[in-house]
Amino acid sequence: MLDMLATDFDFMPAAEIAAAVGSGRSTALAVIEATLARIRERDPLLNSFTAVTEQRALLRAEAIDAMRTRGEAIGPLAGVPFAVKNLFDVSGLSTLAGSKINRDMPPATRDAALIERLEAAGAILVGALNMGEYAYDFTGENSHDGASRNPHDHERMSGGSSGGSGAAVGGGLVPLALGSDTNGSIRVPSSLCGIFGLKPTYGRLTRARTFPFVASLDHLGPFARSVRDLALAYDAMQGSDAEDPACAGRPVEPVTPLLQQDADGLRVAVAAGYFKCNSGETCYAIDRVSAALGANRDVEIPQAERARSAAFVITAAEGASLHLNRLRTLARDFDPAVRDRLIAGAMTPASLVVKAQKFRRWYRDQVVKLFDEVDAILAPATPCTAPLIGQQTFRRGDAELPVRANLGLYTQPISFIGLPVVAVPVPLVPLPIGVQIIAAPWREDVALRLAYALEVKGVVAAMRPVF
Amino acid sequence: MKGRKTVRQSPLPKRDAIDSLVVASAQALRLTLDPSWEAGIKFNLQLILRHAALVDEFSLTDDAEPAAIFHA
Repeated sequence: MLDMLATDFDFMPAAEIAAAVGSGRSTALAVIEATLARIRERDPLLNSFTAVTEQRALLRAEAIDAMRTRGEAIGPLAGVPFAVKNLFDVSGLSTLAGSKINRDMPPATRDAALIERLEAAGAILVGALNMGEYAYDFTGENSHDGASRNPHDHERMSGGSSGGSGAAVGGGLVPLALGSDTNGSIRVPSSLCGIFGLKPTYGRLTRARTFPFVASLDHLGPFARSVRDLALAYDAMQGSDAEDPACAGRPVEPVTPLLQQDADGLRVAVAAGYFKCNSGETCYAIDRVSAALGANRDVEIPQAERARSAAFVITAAEGASLHLNRLRTLARDFDPAVRDRLIAGAMTPASLVVKAQKFRRWYRDQVVKLFDEVDAILAPATPCTAPLIGQQTFRRGDAELPVRANLGLYTQPISFIGLPVVAVPVPLVPLPIGVQIIAAPWREDVALRLAYALEVKGVVAAMRPVF
Repeated sequence: MKGRKTVRQSPLPKRDAIDSLVVASAQALRLTLDPSWEAGIKFNLQLILRHAALVDEFSLTDDAEPAAIFHA
């Protein structure tokens, strides 16, 4: 019996949507119609979408409903609406990657691999999301499409570069979104928008049919408003893919069934030194999370500042190499801030870039050793809550630091060596802030179990914004 | 393999050297630069070189391998 109202779906978790569609209490069509209405109503305030694939979504919803009527399996995410950062190929759309230049590219002829996998699980794509130009951004601002806005305060940054993803999930427009993370672009918007984000181990999820940024450092991953939803999406997307040379040939390792395993025996430490908090909000968040997990020791991640610098150099050089031909012929069509960074990156001496890659292997070996003694490490996700859109500097301790370059200062040394991270939202008022739960390579299950334990205890939660 | 930090004198290029690097690199890379972009490019290049210097001063042995296709 269909007994659900459109308003019932507002902020409804993906798991509940799938249960409602699977049981027949709702149709996928009703879910999608409510989602599209919500996007029409709220997205003018958030500017999170660059394209809404309305007809595609409605047709797909009808197909899901027809499959259910015929008694066919419809998947663990049946009827769940999701959206993707606009560097994911969406069939029929040009893959913008936050740029003006890519608007002239022919439309993609096939969806990105992760879109295909989510749809195979029954989820329904509803559109493409705003992002910082070519992903070279931590703010969520975009000179061509406008800034995506923080759902908790529309005058503030969503964070980036997956700004639209953070805003759309934080604002309850969709329960799931996909983004990318090269130096922090899932974790920073998760922190500023107050939602959960997963940056898996480098090589875990295929990047096939997405517009790249830095091949050495690019990861893809989901955003959600609950740990269960994050895990469901992650499980649906796992699996090897020969089309992505960086995708490791690991078997699917489902984590959703493991979430409720007792996390009390896991050894958790707090990252000290470079990662030591020095603002009220970051310290409060770390203290709350570490107390709840019984993390009573610190751990020093060696050479973290140097690791951040090495990630900076590799990003500059590889990003520049990707765009070199565009810089030769279309330089004026870039965001000037991105253009100048890319040109400078092209001029970086190669020997210094190679040194950064050599240091990377050394650093990885040292950091992985820490996981002989601990199962997870906690660190702040961002050094501050969401700055105002256009804000140039923020205060960290006694120093005034540039926003653009420093929102990712805690995330960069971790993604540099591809460790899996769950960003969990600590519900501060007026603005949330995130904490990174960092695990050993391929141990997303550990980070997700700890995140789930925190959520059950009420220490972390995705706050509902007021519209 | 072991690495250890060594503190070496590694002065950053002076301003006129940065100017020369930008001009020469633009030529070598076949990039046409608008003069109004110069300040932004030089600022960012100096920032990259500061970060690169921090990495470069870290001593690694000759057998240190770069992380090519990187698997965590």
